[in-house]
Amino acid sequence: MQMPVVLPNIVKQKIKIIKVKIIEALLMILTVIILTCTFCQSFSAAQSQSSFTERKSRLRNAAAQEARKDFFTVIAKLQTQTNVPQALSMLDSLARDEGIGGMFYAYGLIGTYLRARSLLPDSLHVKIRRAFRTRVMYRGDTENHWVMYYTGLYLAAQTWPNEDGAQWFNAKSSQENFAEAKSWLDYWIKLTTTKGQGEFDSPTYFITFVTPMLTLYEFARDPVMKKKAQMMLDYLFADFAVEHLHGNYGGGHSRDYPQDIINPITAMTTKWAWLYFGEPDFEPWSEIKGKSRHPSWETVAGAVSSYRLPEIIRQIATDRSAPYVHTETKRVRNVIRFGEQRNPPVYKYTYMTNDYVLGSLHGGILQPIQQHTWDVTFVSDKPNNTLFTLHPYYSGKELAMFFPEEQKVLSDEVNRFHLVYTNPNKWNASSPYEQTFQHKNALMVLYNINENAQQAHIDGFFPKSLDERVEDASKWIFCKAGKTYIAFYPLQPHEWIEEEVNWRWRSRDLKNGVVVEIGTETTHGSFAEFKNRLRQAKVAHDNFDETLTVQYTTQAGELMQFTYDGQRRLNGKPVDFKSYKLFNGPFLQSEVGSGVLKMTYKNHTRILDFNKVSIKGEE
Amino acid sequence: MNSRRFRINHGGCPSEGILFKLKAPAGEQKDSFRMTFPFIAAKIGKAFFLIYLLFHAAFTNACFAQNTAGKVYAAVLFNNSKSNVTGADRYVGVFAREKGEMEWKNFSNTNLFAFGLYFAQHGATQRYYIAGGNGLHRSADGGKTWKILTGWETMEVLSVALDPVETQIIYIATPYGIFKSIDDGKNWAEKMRGCKSWYTDEIIIDARDRHTLYAAVDDDLYRSRDGGENWSPMQAGAPGIRTVFQPATRPEVLLAGTEDHGVRATLDEGKNWSAGKGISATAIYTIHAAADGKAIYAAGYKTGVWRSHDLGQSWLQIWTAPEIEAIYSLFVDPANVAHLFAGTNGKGIYESTDGGKIWRQAGLEGAHVKQIARYPF
Repeated sequence: MQMPVVLPNIVKQKIKIIKVKIIEALLMILTVIILTCTFCQSFSAAQSQSSFTERKSRLRNAAAQEARKDFFTVIAKLQTQTNVPQALSMLDSLARDEGIGGMFYAYGLIGTYLRARSLLPDSLHVKIRRAFRTRVMYRGDTENHWVMYYTGLYLAAQTWPNEDGAQWFNAKSSQENFAEAKSWLDYWIKLTTTKGQGEFDSPTYFITFVTPMLTLYEFARDPVMKKKAQMMLDYLFADFAVEHLHGNYGGGHSRDYPQDIINPITAMTTKWAWLYFGEPDFEPWSEIKGKSRHPSWETVAGAVSSYRLPEIIRQIATDRSAPYVHTETKRVRNVIRFGEQRNPPVYKYTYMTNDYVLGSLHGGILQPIQQHTWDVTFVSDKPNNTLFTLHPYYSGKELAMFFPEEQKVLSDEVNRFHLVYTNPNKWNASSPYEQTFQHKNALMVLYNINENAQQAHIDGFFPKSLDERVEDASKWIFCKAGKTYIAFYPLQPHEWIEEEVNWRWRSRDLKNGVVVEIGTETTHGSFAEFKNRLRQAKVAHDNFDETLTVQYTTQAGELMQFTYDGQRRLNGKPVDFKSYKLFNGPFLQSEVGSGVLKMTYKNHTRILDFNKVSIKGEE
Repeated sequence: MNSRRFRINHGGCPSEGILFKLKAPAGEQKDSFRMTFPFIAAKIGKAFFLIYLLFHAAFTNACFAQNTAGKVYAAVLFNNSKSNVTGADRYVGVFAREKGEMEWKNFSNTNLFAFGLYFAQHGATQRYYIAGGNGLHRSADGGKTWKILTGWETMEVLSVALDPVETQIIYIATPYGIFKSIDDGKNWAEKMRGCKSWYTDEIIIDARDRHTLYAAVDDDLYRSRDGGENWSPMQAGAPGIRTVFQPATRPEVLLAGTEDHGVRATLDEGKNWSAGKGISATAIYTIHAAADGKAIYAAGYKTGVWRSHDLGQSWLQIWTAPEIEAIYSLFVDPANVAHLFAGTNGKGIYESTDGGKIWRQAGLEGAHVKQIARYPF
C-alpha cells in the first residue's frame, strides 16, 4: 500500500498562486476573445454598411446612365442629378402615355412622384394626378399584381386625400380607396405570415413584392403601415437569405422564367443579393453571364430607400460555413376550380452548403405555368450553373384551376403572354405527374405520366458549362462543376439532345424517375473517389412499372424509400409533411398560423411579430 | 295559362323589353283544370305580381318596346394583337355600335377587362353595369363615368343579375362564388349555402319570380328560391356548367351549356333533363334565343353556331368557320330575328342578316367578345 505524498505548506501555497494566475490568464484571454469578437462583429457590420453605401451609389450611377425609359431609371437620374431634363422628359412621357397602365404603372408612378415631387415642374404634378383620375388602373389577377396595385392605390389615396369619386379612375373617394387598399394589404400580410406566400421564392417576382414594400415603407404616413412594410421587407429578405448562395436563389420556385431557371446567377434577384448581401462579387448588370434579357432597374428602389437590411439577415444570407437543412410551408395560388381547398399547402425542402444548394417542392400542380420543382444550383464562375428535371406538362384544366377564362382556350391564351407554355421543350412547368422526396443531399423524383397527358416525356437540363459529364457503366451519370459533384441515376432509358447551352436529357417512359446525390470535394474527396463510392450504391427499383417504388441508401447510410402516390420513408419512418413549419431551420423558425418569425444567427435573434406589429431583437 | 310577360333582365342579357305572348303546350293547359284551390290562390298571387311587373315595365321601360334601334354593345375581355395582361389596354372594355354604322366606339373606360354589360332602367334612372376584371362597375351617366362597386373580396366579376323590382339588390357571379348586395353595391355578402364548389360563371333571375335564381356553378346548375340564401343542385346531368338560359317565351324551360357535354335541357323546371342531340360532348359557352322564341342558338369551343327549333332537344349546325376557335357570345336582334351576332375569341364580332346562313366579320378584330347585347340608349 502506497503512502500519500505530503507536500510542504510552501509548495501548496505556490500551487495555489499558480492556479490563481492560470485562472486570471484564462479570464484575460477570454475577455480578449470576447472583445475581439465584438469588435470584429461591429467592424463587420460597419464594413458591411459601408459597402452597402458604396454599392447603392454604384447601382444608382449605373441606372442613371440607362437610356431605357422606366420609373427606376428616372429616379436614378433625378437622385444623381444625371441628365435631369432627360429624366423629366421620360417621366412626362410615362405620365402621358395611355399605352401603359395597370398595376406596375400604379405603384411605379406614385412611387416616382413621391420620391421626386420637389423636383417636378407643375405640369408634371398635374399630369400625374390626372393619370389616377382618367386612366383605369387594371388590378390584374395574381398576388404580385395585387401587391403592386394596392400599394399604388394606398399611396395615391394618401397623397390626395379628401377627394371625391370624380377625382379617381374608379369613382371611389380617396377615403374609400385608402380603406380598400389598407384592408387588402393587411389581409395579404396576415395570409403570408400565417399560411405562407403564394408566389413564393421567385427569382423574378421577388422584385414585385420587395419594390412595392420599399415604396410603402418609405412613404406610408401611418406608422403602423410603415412598420408592417418594414417587417414584410425583413420577412421577404429573410425568406430569400436562407436559400441564397453566392448570388443565386436556390431551391424550388413557385414561378420563374426559363432564361433564369437555366441560368440562376443572372436572375433578377441576383441584383438584390448584390445590393443587400454583397454577393455575388461582380456587378450583375455589367457581367451578363450569357443572359440576353434586358436589365431591369427596380433595385434602384433599394438604393434610394431609407430601409436598412438588418445585419442578421445579411449574415444568414452569406454564412455558409456549415451545411444545413431548411424546410418551409408555402401555399398554392388561389384555387377557383377542381380543388377542395382554396390554398392547399406547399412543402419545400432545401439543403444548403457552401458549394451548392439542392432544393425541391413536394410535387404536383402548386403554381400554374412557371413552376420550378427542383434543382441543384452550384457555385461556378460559368453561366448555367444548375441541373434539374421536369415534365413539361400543360393543360387547360391546370390553368382553369386558377384562371376564370374558358378552360379549352386558356392554353393558347397563356401562350400569348408566356410564349412557351405549350412548348414540349420548355424549362418551367408544374405537372400533376411529378413527386419528390429529398433528404439532405439526396433526392428522388418520380413521374407517373398519364398516357393522355400532353408531352409524354421528361427532360433534364445538363449545362454545357459543367466541367465533366460522364455516363458510367453503372448507369449513374456523373457530373462535376467546380467543387460540386452530381450523381444522377435515371430509372429508365434516355437520350441526349444537344442544344445551345446545354445537353437535354430526355426519357420517354411514362413511369419514370431519377435519383440524385450531390457531393463535394470536402465531403467526398476527389471526383474519382466520388464516382467510385457511388458506383457501389444501389438504386433498388425492381418492378418499378408496377410498384412505382424506389429505394436508395445515401452515402451517409440513410435509407430512403419512396412510392409514387404513396409514402416517403426515411430509415423506415414515414415522412410527415403536415409537421412542416412555416420556416424551420437553424436560422429561421415560424409555426404555421403564428404570424411570428424568429431569426437566429449565432447568439443574435430578431423576432418579427405581425400580431403585435413589433420587432424584438437587435437593430 | 295564357298570359303576357315582361322580361326585364335575363341571363346576362337584359332583355330588350319586348312584350312576349306566351302560349303553354297543350299538356300544360289540361293540367290547369286539375288545379287545387291553394294552387289557384298562389297563381292569383303570382298573377298580381306579374301584373305589377307588367305595369312596372310598361311605365319604366315602355321605350324598349317601341324603340328597338339603340346600340349594339360588345364586352371585350382581351384583344389578341394588342392586349397587355399587365394592364394598359385601350382595346378592351365595352364598345358600342350605332344602328346603321360599322364603327365600334369606346363606351366604357378603356383598359377595363370586361366580361359582360348589363342595363337597368327604373323610372328615369338608367344604369349600366360592367362585370369586369376590376370588379363590378356601374355608370349612371350613360357611360361617361364608372364606379367600381365591389372591393377586393369579390375579385373578378363574371356575371351580374339585377333584381327587377328592388333596384338595390344585385347578385354577382365570381370565380370565388356568388355574392349579393342589398344596398346598391355598398356591401356584399357571400351567398353559397348549398353549393359544393365556388366557381360560378353566370347567374340569372327567373323571368317569373325574382326570388328564384339560377347559377352556373362549376359542379352543377344550382337554383335558389329565396333570393340566393340557399341553393340546391338541379342535377342537370353534367358538371362544368358554363352558361344558363331561360327562354323568355317558355320560362319553364332551362338550357345549360356545359364544358364537355354540350347542352343539357329541361322542359319541366328541372325535374327531367336531357342531352341536346347533335352537339353532345362539346363545350357550349353561350345560348341565346330569337325574340319570337322559335329558334334557340348555341355555340362554344370549335362548335360553330347551332340552332334548335324544339327548345334545345335537337340541334342543327348552321355555320362553322375553321378560323374561329371559339364563340363566347351570341345575340339575336330583337327587332329582326334573322339578324345574328357572334362574339369570338380573338376574331372580333361576326354578323349575319339572313338567319345565320352567311356571316361576315363585323369589326373589333382581334377582340375576345364575351357578351353582345342591345340597349336602347
